[in-house]
Amino acid sequence: MNKQEFLSRLKEELIGLPEDDIAERLDFYAEMIDERIDDGLSEDEAISDIGPIEKVVSEIIAEIPFTRLIKEKIKPKRRIRTWEIILLVLGFPVWFPLLISAAALVFSLFVVLWALVISLWAVDISFAVASLGSALGGILLIIHGERQQGFILLGSGLILAGLAIMLFFASKAATAGGWKLTKKIILGIKTLFIGKEKI
Amino acid sequence: MNAQMKRGLLDICVLAAIKDEDSYGYKIIKDMKPYIELSEATLYTILKRLEAADQLTVRSIEQDGRLRKYYHITGTGLKRIEEFKDEWKEVVLLYQFITKEGHHE
Repeated sequence: MNKQEFLSRLKEELIGLPEDDIAERLDFYAEMIDERIDDGLSEDEAISDIGPIEKVVSEIIAEIPFTRLIKEKIKPKRRIRTWEIILLVLGFPVWFPLLISAAALVFSLFVVLWALVISLWAVDISFAVASLGSALGGILLIIHGERQQGFILLGSGLILAGLAIMLFFASKAATAGGWKLTKKIILGIKTLFIGKEKI
Repeated sequence: MNAQMKRGLLDICVLAAIKDEDSYGYKIIKDMKPYIELSEATLYTILKRLEAADQLTVRSIEQDGRLRKYYHITGTGLKRIEEFKDEWKEVVLLYQFITKEGHHE
């Protein structure tokens, strides 16, 4: 990929941002490529040093606050015609519930994700409590002479403790994964607001 | 490092990179490289933020047939560095408290 291709692809990916903002960012990246070439890199090397275009775009999007993206998106790029306003008003019973359900869908995605994580922790904690109870009960039974039942209870307590410990690490991993996924989803939603717009 | 903390620190780092003499984007990234890896997108955002806060000014200078943007620190920018140094003393004090052994004796 040469410099021109890189810049025009970047421009395509950033459509939706204000035009002067895009122009300024393109200038910035053009300068960064030129500097690397002055440093002795070839055009190809300079561009691959900056990174794959997908990474550059996601870095740029990640840096732009959500509120600004939405503001840019809902700002009409031209005057809305009268019939469009009438259509918007008349269509309100249709598009408004659709909008609400889309938002609800995204929200439920988060709820499901975190409910899973929370339930993992809940199971882990209940295992831990149950293992303590069984072990204590087992010891008490052994002291009172009910050795057979006591050992069974103590043993199951130890098994539960083992499960609880394993689940602890699983829950920790799930929490970390949940965070990562949440960040990815937010980045995905942000990407909806900018990028190639085919009209 | 925590993202919030990093954001604040990077602002000061960029100001420090242009403190002694005006500098340009690529040089700022190269100067900071031994300390922290800074992506172009992050630098761009920081430079914009600092410009909006009057902590630096930008001018384009022609060099070898192309334009290069130079960043110049303002009085407000210098003050921000000084404020950071003062605040950091408090952070160091808190660090000593955090890492002190035997709080509960």
